[in-house]
Amino acid sequence: MKLGAEHLDDLALGSVFLATGGGGDPHVPKLLTSEVLKRCGSVDLLPPDQLPDDAFVAAIGNVGAPTVSLELLPSDDEALIALEAFEKQMGRKLDAVVSFEIGGGNSLIPIMAAASRGIPVVDGDGMGRALPEAQMMTYAICGIPSTPALACDYASNVTLFTTKGTEVYERHIRALAMSSGGMITTVEHGMTGATLRDAIIPGTVSFALQLGTLLRKNRGQAPTLVAPLKALFQNSIYGECRLIHTGKVVDKSTRIVGGFDVGRTVVEGFEPGDTPVEIDIKNEYLLARRGDRVLASVPDLIVIVDYETSEPINAERLRYGQRIAIFAIGCPDFYRSPDALKVVSPRNFGFDLDYVPLETLPN
Amino acid sequence: MRIGIDVGGTHTDAVIMDGNQVITSTKVLTSADVMEGVANALDTILSDSGLPVSAIESVMIGTTQFTNAIIERRQLAPTGVFRLNLPSGRGLPPMVDWPDDIAEAVGRHTYTLHGGKLYDGWPIAELDPDEIDRAILDAKAKGLKNFAISSAFSPMDPSPEAYVEARLRAAIPEAKITCSHSFGRLGLMERENAAILNATLLHFAETVVSAFLTALRTRNLRCPVFISQNDGTLMSADFVSAFPALTFASGPTNSLRGAMLLTGLEEAIVVDIGGTTSDIGVLQGGFPRESNAVIEVGGVRTNFRMPDIQAIGLGGGSLVSADGETIGPQSVGHRLTQDGLIFGGNTLTATDIVVASGHQKIGNAAAVAGLPEHVVETARKNMLTILDRGIDMMKPGAVQMPVILVGGGSVLVTGDLTAAKQVHRPEHAGVANAIGAAIAQVGGESEKIVSYQTLPRDAAIAELTQEARDRALGAGAAAESLRTVDIEETEVPYMGQDTMRLRIKVIGDLAVTSAETSA
Repeated sequence: MKLGAEHLDDLALGSVFLATGGGGDPHVPKLLTSEVLKRCGSVDLLPPDQLPDDAFVAAIGNVGAPTVSLELLPSDDEALIALEAFEKQMGRKLDAVVSFEIGGGNSLIPIMAAASRGIPVVDGDGMGRALPEAQMMTYAICGIPSTPALACDYASNVTLFTTKGTEVYERHIRALAMSSGGMITTVEHGMTGATLRDAIIPGTVSFALQLGTLLRKNRGQAPTLVAPLKALFQNSIYGECRLIHTGKVVDKSTRIVGGFDVGRTVVEGFEPGDTPVEIDIKNEYLLARRGDRVLASVPDLIVIVDYETSEPINAERLRYGQRIAIFAIGCPDFYRSPDALKVVSPRNFGFDLDYVPLETLPN
Repeated sequence: MRIGIDVGGTHTDAVIMDGNQVITSTKVLTSADVMEGVANALDTILSDSGLPVSAIESVMIGTTQFTNAIIERRQLAPTGVFRLNLPSGRGLPPMVDWPDDIAEAVGRHTYTLHGGKLYDGWPIAELDPDEIDRAILDAKAKGLKNFAISSAFSPMDPSPEAYVEARLRAAIPEAKITCSHSFGRLGLMERENAAILNATLLHFAETVVSAFLTALRTRNLRCPVFISQNDGTLMSADFVSAFPALTFASGPTNSLRGAMLLTGLEEAIVVDIGGTTSDIGVLQGGFPRESNAVIEVGGVRTNFRMPDIQAIGLGGGSLVSADGETIGPQSVGHRLTQDGLIFGGNTLTATDIVVASGHQKIGNAAAVAGLPEHVVETARKNMLTILDRGIDMMKPGAVQMPVILVGGGSVLVTGDLTAAKQVHRPEHAGVANAIGAAIAQVGGESEKIVSYQTLPRDAAIAELTQEARDRALGAGAAAESLRTVDIEETEVPYMGQDTMRLRIKVIGDLAVTSAETSA
């Protein structure tokens, strides 16, 4: 299909939902992408199986602190500058671009880049959701080298990375982001079409679009969204979808530990006497518990929405007094494989528990 | 004693309050010049109460004049916008996402310049005095008098905005200027939008505030005058001349606070039924529930704190279809008293239905005597269903809640609301807004990104609390009554250890209240 400016509202809404608290406010990326699409025309959304085996593809997106981009505005040519620098470094033109993660702004940056360059964007991403670190991407888990990679900052300063592994790359780009005002655009994971096909979570861009349309058309109190959401997720790569709690945020505190936004929120039920639900946060919502009972855990998706409108709420905008609903959604099968769980199980985030798939947990 | 006045688009209401008691109230038409309506309302309550003007210790005014000006795109002065953030944000000039009609009314006189700061205080670019002076020269040549200035991370470091402000004042001494850092929180575009909306209203604000003051002074009311803002707190009249945008949602806020005072209920749904719409809001702990969403005013995204209000298209003037099945959202509005059947007109309205069903005696009941009974009954029940649905959307959870009806259209509620635990129709409900204005408090807010490594958490909270207190004191609060109502802490990810976005709000009673007590 062709992606045009008219798709951006729904795509952004759906991808903020899938971002599970991360990803940042999509308003500004949406404005920029919309302008580029109007200027350069719509973009081909290419299913991974239609990518030629020898096509040259790279992942592009923003790395940094969403809060900072409230003030340090992105530019309409940043993605293109990064892309061209990458091509120059690699000595080869890109045939398509793909997203790191289907989450807020990062689902839109590849579209902006593709439109500026007149190439397609691949329908899929490297997480099927948002996760905090580069080595948690499917591309890295499948062994695709993340570098050579290029980063571009607000002043068009361009930096080249060639690192020995994705964990090191992750540390280096974070350090650069911090010294570049908190937000950079990177192009990384150069790969062939054949390689990408085996490493991608497919169809997530068109799915996010579908999800956003559903959320817009059914805008209303969260309990009324349960049936349409279940119907959509059950016939997708995600599967299980549950409303696990409704209530009011009575506490939210986060601390930075090791460069991550780590903390917790407590959500009291609307009915007096309900045991409150606690959600642990590391950039994204990772673990939901009622007392000792686990309701959902990473890599399954935990999504907080506004109770009245069912609009998803990012972790940085979650605050005391908000009336919310919490959904849990099964992750794509890729993340349930032993190799993936080596890097994305609850233990990787410091929780002393093993991953139990959502659908086998008591409701 | 206090006087509360609500200057709406159609009516100007006024009350005299002794503590929490309503002494007298009135409702008059809003005049085109605002002043005459205010004068009429004042004359009526002063003569009805028989009180000397010396008994009045303060006057509180709520007004939708500035909101209406933005929504109707009138009284807006051409405004120059200076933003300091290049080389970041290329392709995102000020007003980029504004609706065309308001952008044209304000004029797209935007200047994007080098400057601004990063989160850690490092300059995005050094200020370029030549570039700034060229922009000022251009604005001067255009004859612009109103200006908004914004700069990246100005809540943290306002000095770039202050530099441009000083250059502007030197070049255009009569300039009226709003700096975005006056609007507090982070979010450059929303904060800048607030500053532009404010700047474009500065001439109108001067006219309105001076009309208020003239109406009061010519009646020898020499007490302090306050104007209510979005979150139910008050500003001094001088402050409003500089910050008219802070009044934007004061109408619904005052109506909710007034309903609280009239019933004593701190947890309730408030339905304010007017001629065209019903505004439904929620009281939590005696204050309006705030909206979670980014607030748009006249289609422009802003960073204001506003109550969560659901407006549904049902009011006293709503059109009713011949079979009674469809009601609103079209309305005859303020022409109800000419167009409604009971007033001798030809249009079937919601108010006609209520009279035909025998629930109210308004106007000429004979004019609706011929309406088929099943049509009247269908329409009457549909109105209750529409309200029930709206209340249900706003209700916190499944439990029933008390519902307080205010506003002239509350006669439309002719039976039980299934969403309501109990329906309250307090006395003086028609002037709830004016009452809400009279009991408003004053507040102050402060927000910054701080590193707890360079400034320990306790010290940071103390410093910001002091800033918030200073702002509240500047807005007229009594120091001893100030209390912190919100401490919001958001850690900024990837920014190194212990970097926080910290926001503090304090509110308290007006200083004049304590003077009243001691008097």
